[in-house]
Amino acid sequence: MDPLQKTSTWIGVALLALTVLILPMVLGALWIKVLTSAAIFALAASGVALVYAQLGLINLAQIALIGVGGWIALRLNYATDLPVTLLVIIAGGLTGVIGALFALPALRMRGLYLALVTLMVAALAQIFFNAFQFPNGGEGFWGVAQKSADAVRRPGFAQSDTAYFRYVMIALGVAFMLIGLHKSSAPGRAWAMIRQSEANAMAAGINVTFFKLWAFALSGFLAGTSGALLAGALGQLDARSFLAGEGILLFALAVVGGVFSWLGAIVAGLLYKLLPAIFNDLGLSADIAMIIFGAALMHAIMTAPEGIAGQIMGAFKKGGSDD
Amino acid sequence: MIEITDVTVKYGGVVALDSVSLKIAEDVVGLIGPNGAGKTTLTNAFSGFAPVTDGSIVVNGTNLFDLAPHKRTRWGLARSFQKVQIVPDLTVEEHLKAVLDGKGIGKAQRVGAISKALDFVGIGDIRLKQGRALNPYQRRMTEIAKCLIGGPRVVLLDEPGGGLSEAEMQHLRDIIRGIHPEFGAQILLVDHDVDLIRDVCAATAVLDFGKLIAFGPTEEVLADEVVKTAYLGR
Repeated sequence: MDPLQKTSTWIGVALLALTVLILPMVLGALWIKVLTSAAIFALAASGVALVYAQLGLINLAQIALIGVGGWIALRLNYATDLPVTLLVIIAGGLTGVIGALFALPALRMRGLYLALVTLMVAALAQIFFNAFQFPNGGEGFWGVAQKSADAVRRPGFAQSDTAYFRYVMIALGVAFMLIGLHKSSAPGRAWAMIRQSEANAMAAGINVTFFKLWAFALSGFLAGTSGALLAGALGQLDARSFLAGEGILLFALAVVGGVFSWLGAIVAGLLYKLLPAIFNDLGLSADIAMIIFGAALMHAIMTAPEGIAGQIMGAFKKGGSDD
Repeated sequence: MIEITDVTVKYGGVVALDSVSLKIAEDVVGLIGPNGAGKTTLTNAFSGFAPVTDGSIVVNGTNLFDLAPHKRTRWGLARSFQKVQIVPDLTVEEHLKAVLDGKGIGKAQRVGAISKALDFVGIGDIRLKQGRALNPYQRRMTEIAKCLIGGPRVVLLDEPGGGLSEAEMQHLRDIIRGIHPEFGAQILLVDHDVDLIRDVCAATAVLDFGKLIAFGPTEEVLADEVVKTAYLGR
C-alpha cells in the first residue's frame, strides 16, 4: 500500500466512525433517511466505478441489478425467516451471479457496444419490473397483491431509522474494504494487466475471461446488496425507481464522483440522493440537480478524469512524486 | 527440445507463416529476418495470439496448441513483447506477483522467487517503484524479470535490445547468456541486431516471407549467401 492509499484508508475509517456516531445526533429524521439512501446508492456506484476503473468497461445496467437484488431480498423477506443480514448477503450473491451471466455474452465487447448491451439489459429489467412489480407480501411466486405492503423486516439491532442508517454505513464500510482487498491482491493485479492489454495479461498467465467475469460478479454483488438494503430502508420498492435511464445517471455520477477511490462512490451517492433533497428543502425544483449533474459531467470529462474524489485526494498529495 | 512442425499462420489471404518446421535443441537460439518475415508471428503462434491454421509446436512432449494462451504461461512459456508491457500503476514487484498469481505459487516461495529474478537482471533496488516511474531500461528489465519468474521452460524475447544504449546492451548480453544456466529455460531470441545474435546464440533460424530459409550454427547461417541476400540486402 502506498502512503497515499494509507492516508485515504485512515481518512475513510475516521469518516465512517464520525458519520456513524455523530451524524444521527445532529440531523433530523428526514435527513437521516436521505443519507441512508445516499449511502445505499454509493454502495451500488462503487460497483460501477470498480468495473470502469479496473477494466475500462461501461456498465449502464447497475440500476437494474439493484432492482434484482431488491426483488430477491423482498421475495426472501416474505417467504423465509432468515436473518436480515444473511438475506442481504444472499441477495447480493445471487445478483452477482446474474450480473456475471449477463456479462458473459458481452465479454468480447467494449466501449460503446458494451455500454449499449448493458443499456438493453437495463431496459429489459425495466419491463420485467413493470410487468411483475416487487413482492409486497402477496401469495404465489411473484408475491404481489392489491394491498399496501406488509412490513419488511430490518435487523433486530437496526429497527429505527437511525440504527438502520448506522447499519447501512457499516455495510458500506465493509464493501469498501472488500473492494480494497480485491484491488491490492491477485484480482487487482490481474485487472491491471488486462487493462494494459489482453495479450499482456494472457502472456502473464492470467485467465482474462475469468477475471472480467469476476469484476462483473463483484459489481453485481454490490448492486444486489444495495438493492436489499434499499428494500429494508424504504419498506417497499416501486418499479418506477428502476428505469433504464437511472442506470445512465448512476454511471455518469460515478464518473463525476471519481471512479478510482471509495470517496468517489460517496460523492456519487450524495449527488444522486442528497442534492435533489436539498433543492426540495429549499423550495426549488429537484430537476435543477439534473442541470448541475450535466455541468459536473462536462467538468469531469474535460478537467478532472479522476473526478471530484481525485481533486480532493490531490489536495492531500504532496509534491506528486511516485517514488 | 522445441519441435516446430508445419506451422502455418494466415491473416485473411496473407500467409504470414508458411509451413515452418524447426527442431531446436540448443539453449539459446536466434530468430532473424527482414521486416514482415514472420518473426513476431512465430512468437505469437507460441503464445496463442496468431491464427494458426496448421501444424504443432511441441516442447518436451507437450503440444502448446492444446493449451489455452494463459495456460501456456502457467505451463512455463514466457515472453517479452517488442513494445514493452508495463502497467503504470503497478510496482515492479507487483508485475512479477501477477505472474506468480496465475502459477499458484504460495506466499512462502514468492519472496525468494521475486528477489532471485530481480537480482538476476539487476533491478532488486527498485522493486517498489511504480511502472510509470521507470526509465526505458528499467522497463525492459522488469519485462525480462517477468519472464524468469515461476519456473519458465521456454523464454521468447521479442527484440529485447530495442532502444538500449551500448552499455545496457552489454548487460543484456550477460543476462541472456545467464538465463539457461540459472533458470534452465530454452531461449528464442528475436532481434534485428546481428551482433547481439552472433554473441549469444549458438544456432540461428532465418525467416523470409513466412518461410524458413536457413537454420544452423549462427556463424554458418550468417555467412550463408542466401541469408545475406535476403537479410543483409546484397
